[in-house]
Amino acid sequence: MLEYAEPVIKLIDEFKRLPGIGHKSAQRLAFHVLRMSETDVERFIAALQEVKRRIVSCSICNNLTDVDPCRFCSSPGRDRSVICVVEEPYNLVAVEKTRSYKGLYHVLHGSISPIRGMNVEDLRLANLLPRLKPENNEGVEVREVILATNPNTEGEATANYIKHLLKPLGLRVTRIAMGMPVGSDLEYVDEVTMDKALTNRHEI
Amino acid sequence: MAYAKITAMLLESLETHCFRNTSGKISWGPNLNIIYGDNGQGKTNWLEAIYLLATTKSFRTQRLQEAVCFGEELAIVRGRVACAQEVHRDLQVAVQSGTKTLIVNSKREAVTRYLGQLDAIAFTADELEVVRGAPDARRRFLDRGILSLHHIYVQTLADYNRVIKQKNRLLQDASNAEQSAADVLPLITPWNEQLISLGSQIHHARAGYVTRLNEVLERRLFGREEVTIRYVSSLEGKGDLSDYESLLAERLRLRLPAEIAAGYALVGPHRDDLGILFDGHEIRTYGSSGQQRSALITLDLAAISLYYSWRREYPLFLIDDIDAELDGKRIEHLLKHLEGRTQTFITTSKESLVKQYLTRANVYEVKEGLVAEARLLTNKSMSLVTEA
Ligand SMILES: [Zn+2]
Repeated sequence: MLEYAEPVIKLIDEFKRLPGIGHKSAQRLAFHVLRMSETDVERFIAALQEVKRRIVSCSICNNLTDVDPCRFCSSPGRDRSVICVVEEPYNLVAVEKTRSYKGLYHVLHGSISPIRGMNVEDLRLANLLPRLKPENNEGVEVREVILATNPNTEGEATANYIKHLLKPLGLRVTRIAMGMPVGSDLEYVDEVTMDKALTNRHEI
Repeated sequence: MAYAKITAMLLESLETHCFRNTSGKISWGPNLNIIYGDNGQGKTNWLEAIYLLATTKSFRTQRLQEAVCFGEELAIVRGRVACAQEVHRDLQVAVQSGTKTLIVNSKREAVTRYLGQLDAIAFTADELEVVRGAPDARRRFLDRGILSLHHIYVQTLADYNRVIKQKNRLLQDASNAEQSAADVLPLITPWNEQLISLGSQIHHARAGYVTRLNEVLERRLFGREEVTIRYVSSLEGKGDLSDYESLLAERLRLRLPAEIAAGYALVGPHRDDLGILFDGHEIRTYGSSGQQRSALITLDLAAISLYYSWRREYPLFLIDDIDAELDGKRIEHLLKHLEGRTQTFITTSKESLVKQYLTRANVYEVKEGLVAEARLLTNKSMSLVTEA
């Protein structure tokens, strides 16, 4: 015999498919939905459907967007000679928050990880090389590609792979420096970050 | 019975909750602590709890969940540590659903910040693998020692192991698909580049550690035979080891076809070894079991003095089932050597040993996981006083 009525179990199973949701959380969420009013549930469903209908990935940079090309790719104010490569759309948001970067982006939607079945061909890389040609970039030549993948072994492997892909083209390929989070006390920086910050120190 | 301890690191008390069969609180003495009881009562569990608190690891299992008392979800080990005369810290390791939470003074900490508040070196039956087992036990011995001096090494090791795991998967797939080296090269290179950089760091850390260990090794601690050690790189005889990074890169390039054929990584410090020699002979093959134990103790003591020369304090020293591992002469020799240095915890089932050391030790008797403190009240009789 099932422990709950069939519709409840179906809902719990759906919640369990979400990342970071285990059985207990899924159960809690399902019972929360049962307590929600009809209007709240409808608003929730509408939000899910709308996001799927209206959000597409940008045909130039793969960023998630409601207009194609996205706001970055179509903005006349951005420096088209620099492309910053990130793993996920939320990494793009993090770079954008600095307000100091004015170039374009390229979103890979992942990093290389053979043990998780993520291989080179699963990265959204195919549309990066064509972008580097001026005729595909509103006549502007790309001078530099910044590799801003995550500072872990998978992000590093991804950056290494792209580096080898781009180096023969003769443009500047850079990797973001790993180091100190600015605005935090030295005391609160963990040793690994501190060590990297010391290793990657530069003259002033 | 307690005399002043010259070093700072001190485990004052330990409290456990559902950690194996232990539950309760013990206040420890600053010098020699003897945990006494019949076999199967849970002496080693208390030692394991101390080790867990100090290193966040168990010396018995890789899967910490096994250490949670049967039928319970959460195990807690908590201890009060004197880091300096007037600095006390409360450390806690909680194990739940296979993950551990580290807490210092009621605040959650990352492992790199947790380590170093307390440290321990353990001499156990499992550790005898270092002198008689496969090379991985000896690599772990070196890595533990380096870790206790440089906590940052945790990350280097974790990254290296991750890179090897990823590379092995690629090699396995390439092997199954019978791919050529030329096809595999662009996919392997991003991992090999990290392997070279991390592998060089590990090689230099281990070779340097062995050099320093050799400097402090008391070669004839237990008799006439001389103990010597040597780091044995798997790249020895393959080229110029003094430029390890280039040599490693070269070997990775040359051995790629062989690695594809094997389906796993063949080149790197995960294939290295530590040579332990007794009068010039490999201890693992030619040493008697007594000589192997002596050599291991000698190595542990060297690790302790290196730790001291680096950090100006001694780690805790734990010896499980001391009379099963060492004869009376070696025990006497060892405990004399440790006196006034480390806070030492030993387990034994021998009453004669307890009687012998009663005047210079705190003695605790363990029954079914619970502990009572045994004190010497009259000359030769022991009386049990239950710990409040
Ligand atoms: Zn775009």
